[in-house]
Formats: sequence, structure tokens, C-alpha cells
Amino acid sequence: MWLIALFSFQESWRKKVALIAGALTLAFLILYGTGLHFIARDAVNTANPAATATSYYAMIQSIQLFVMGIYLASFLVAGLAILAAVGSIAAEIDNGTLYTLAVRPLSRRDLLLGKFLGLAAMLVIYAALFFLALTGLVYWQTNLLIPGLVPALGLFILEPLVLLAVTMLGTTRLTTVSNGVLAFALYAMAMVGGMMEQIGAMMDNTATIYTGVVTSLLLPADAVYRRLVATVVDRLPAGNGQDIPQFLSPQSVLGPFGSQSTPSDWMLFYTMIYIVVLLAAAVYSFKHRDI
Amino acid sequence: MAVIEVRNLTKVYGRQTACREICLSVEEGQIFGLLGPNGAGKSTLVKMLVGLVYPTAGESRVAGHPPQDIKGRHQVGFLPENFRLHGWLQGEELLIFHARLAGRDGRGARQRAAEVLDLVGLAGEGGKLVANYSKGMQQRLGLAAALVGDPQVVFLDEPTSALDPLGRRQVREILLALKEAGKTVFLNSHLLSEVEKVCDRVAFINRGTVVAGGRLADLQAGPAAVSIRLGGLSEELAADLRGRYPDLQLDGDRLVLAPGDREEIAALVARLVDGGCRIYEVAPGHNSLEDIFVHLVREGEQACG
Repeated sequence: MWLIALFSFQESWRKKVALIAGALTLAFLILYGTGLHFIARDAVNTANPAATATSYYAMIQSIQLFVMGIYLASFLVAGLAILAAVGSIAAEIDNGTLYTLAVRPLSRRDLLLGKFLGLAAMLVIYAALFFLALTGLVYWQTNLLIPGLVPALGLFILEPLVLLAVTMLGTTRLTTVSNGVLAFALYAMAMVGGMMEQIGAMMDNTATIYTGVVTSLLLPADAVYRRLVATVVDRLPAGNGQDIPQFLSPQSVLGPFGSQSTPSDWMLFYTMIYIVVLLAAAVYSFKHRDI
Repeated sequence: MAVIEVRNLTKVYGRQTACREICLSVEEGQIFGLLGPNGAGKSTLVKMLVGLVYPTAGESRVAGHPPQDIKGRHQVGFLPENFRLHGWLQGEELLIFHARLAGRDGRGARQRAAEVLDLVGLAGEGGKLVANYSKGMQQRLGLAAALVGDPQVVFLDEPTSALDPLGRRQVREILLALKEAGKTVFLNSHLLSEVEKVCDRVAFINRGTVVAGGRLADLQAGPAAVSIRLGGLSEELAADLRGRYPDLQLDGDRLVLAPGDREEIAALVARLVDGGCRIYEVAPGHNSLEDIFVHLVREGEQACG
């Protein structure tokens, strides 16, 4: 299993998957950093000309910019997770590269889990560097040190692993294209469901909240993002020492990108179990199919 | 001792039967040829024997283990038909990786990779990216990957399909060297002439069924067709011969038929002369594998007991 994991990890480097993703990410960070620089300067000054990043308004604006960056970064990381794994079994059967591996003295379970671990290692490194670069940019431009940095980092890393598990299950049975379409559709559904849940929470509409919960049960990627936002935002000092009305609270200001309906610890536990169950299903599916 | 045993192996895909109740036995140290036209079920059978495809019914053992048994795979090498190797690796890296998967440590894997590169004629080419190899070189590298674990049983599915005549000869030499070393080779091919040159035993498969099998020498020892060029053959004599030899073909002055043995050829020639024919030429035929295959498929013989 470890040999296959190392092999998959090397493959993503040698095929320049990580390099291309890194180059695109760098371009994103440059664009984001440039926008952040001007938005942060103007917005902070407009809101409170005398403010520093320690003032409430500056803090709110900084956190908005951070959440916007995290939201977009989640798309990129999710895209990489899906594209990296979408054909890891199906495409290798189609092009014949899997035949020579599958007859070696290793079980199909080890073959599949090895591929998962290799891709997961690549995604964890990529997501961690991305997250740290993003938080570094925010700190550099706004002086806001993101609170709950370590748990937030853990959650940011968890999100692509959820998508990786889904895509690994799909690739054991579906063609590369079908699997890609399914994974992206599920991801889009989860994101839309998550937004509906937040809007439902703002409107106090239970049915809309439940819709979001159901989509999170189908694919808990958005739930992980919401938990990340809550982990950061809920650690901010309430009103920063000022008496602030509810509609100006950080979560309210973030709107559908915030986390007013925050996923519970049980949802996090469910996400872990979700990954394990999907991987077990992927192993079962791969083990019982003809190659 | 049988190193490959196949009993009533059947594979059904939906309504299509790829293999039907196939029975085979291959002795240790033999080169066994599985022959048949495209789509006959050869590759499906091999895939079942190396554990890539699950049979619908029946069972098989290779080197004493069921194909799905991980332990048995240490003894098995496989060169698939429509395969591709990981193009982002160098040839030597690929072989080292496969040798590691086959259970060798780092140093042993490097040593073995160098040996098999040399064996398949790719010494000095191991540092190139596989993606830059020609098709023939990739075929050789695939063969090297099949042999890198030093297996007791090697399954080769159309191993010479991408090779030029020199490459084919080299593969034949490798197969004979493997046999010399006591290895068992299961050769899957539709190139009958290739098989004829190296195999000890063969089986013919058509439409998923084994239609004949046995020692190559025995199969080729049977009666061959005789071609006789003659003149003055009467209608009456021709009709009489057709009654005796249903496969008789008369094309101009050439008569082709299949007598039982040499004595029958002599008796036939005497009969033709007695019947007023002028004999210009009597040419004995040769039992090529192709002739045998066509003949056996027509007869629809079942080799499976």
C-alpha cells in the first residue's frame, strides 16, 4: 500500500499536476493579494478613517476579505481533489496501465487505498500551503491574525479529502467523464444547499435550513467550510469591546458566505465516518469488479 | 505436474458468453499456446487466470493457488494485450517499482531491473522516459515488467504484436530460454506461425469454447492434404472419388483431397492411372496450425472432457 501511495504521490508531481495547480494558485494569490491590498486600504479608511485593524469595523472588513478568499480557495482545492482522482481507476483500466499493477502481489484494497493516500498527501500539502499563504496575505494587508488558525487549517484540509473519497468511490464504477460530472454536480449541490441553509437561518426558516442539512448529509464538503468559518469568526471578540447590534455581528455581515447555522460536532464526526464509509465502499466496489 | 489447472471455467457478460466451460491443464516447464481468432475468448481466459476477471462459474489454479490469492501472484508474470505503461517514469524506474511490488528490496530491485532490461534488449535505454519509447520498445519493456519478479508462470497475451521480425525472433529466444530455465509460459496469440515455432502444446479456442488441444507434434502428425495435378479424369471416376473423400476439391487440372495415410496415397494414384488419368505431379501437403485450426473448428470437436 505504501509503495502505491508513494507512486501516486510521485505521479502527481511528475505529471506536473501539483506544479500546474501551484502556478494557478500563485496567480490566484497575486490577484487576491492585489485586490486585498486596495480593498483593505480603501474599505478600512472609508469605514473609520482613524481605524487600525484592531477596530471593530476594520476587523469585520478584514474577516470578510478572508472568508471571500477561503470560499474561492475551497473551489480550487475541491477542483484539484476531483480532477486528481476522477480517473485514478477508471482511466487506468481504459488505457491499460492498471493491468500490470493489479496482477502484482498486492490486494485491490491496498491498491485503492494506496492511491487514495498518495493523492491525499498531495492535497494536504497543497491545501495547507494555500491556506497559510492566504492567511499570511490577510495578516500582511490587514494586520488581522486569523483566530483559531490550527483548527481552521485542519478543516480546510478536510474538505478536499471528503471530495477525494467521493471521487475514489465513483472511479471504481463510473467512466472518467461520468464520475467528474457526478462529483462536480454533488459539490455544486452541497454549496447551493449550504447557502440556502444560511439564508434560512437568517430568515429563521426551518424548512430551508433542513434542505441545507440534507445536502450536507449527501456531501458534507460545504458543512466543513461552514464549520471553518465559524471556527474563525466565532473566536473574534464580540463587538471588539463596542456595543454592536445583531445585524452588524460578523456572521450577519458575512450573509450566505457566513455560518449562522453552524454544523455541530456531530456533523464533523459524521464527515469523518463519511470518508471512512465511502472508502470502504470504494474498496468493496473495486474488489468485486472485473478489470 | 500441472502448474495451470482450469476446470469448467465460464465467463458470461450479460447475454454474451465469453468463455464456456473451459478445461485446460498445463504442465510445468512447457510453452503452451492458446490459439484462436479475434474475439474467441482468449484474453478473457487469461484475465481470469491472472485474477483480473472473476469467472461466472468453474475454478482454476495457477502454481497451486487460486488466481485471487495474493501468495500465488509472486509466481505469476503477465504481459497484457492492450496495455500501456506509466509514461512519466523512466524505463528502469518502472521496472524497479514493479520489482519492489514483487517483493524485492531496493538493491535487489535495481539489480533485477538491470538484468531484465538486458534480457529484452533494452540495456542502455533504461534512463529514457517510457513515454519516449517506440511501440516496439514499450512491448519489450512490458515483457521485462512481466519477468521482473522472476515468476514461475508467465502469461503473455500477444507478446509479439508490435514487434518487427528481429524483435519477434528475440522474444522467441527469450521464451525458449524461460523454458530452459524450467518456467512455464502460457502464450496467447492469433499468430499461428509464431506459436508453431515455440509451443509444446496448444489449445484452440473459438467462440469461448476449446475446440481442440494437445501436443503440437501429435496434432501435426495427422493426415495432410495431397495435391495431384492430372489429366483425363472422367466424370464417373470424379463422382466415385467425391463419395470417398467429401472434402475433395477439383480446380482445373488440380485435385486436392485428404487420404488417410501414405499407403492410401499410393493406392489412390494407382486407381487414377487405372482409370485412364495421366499423373503430372503429386505434392504432399503440410499440416500447418492454420490447416488444423480450420479443420477442427469445422468439425466442432470438444477437447474438454
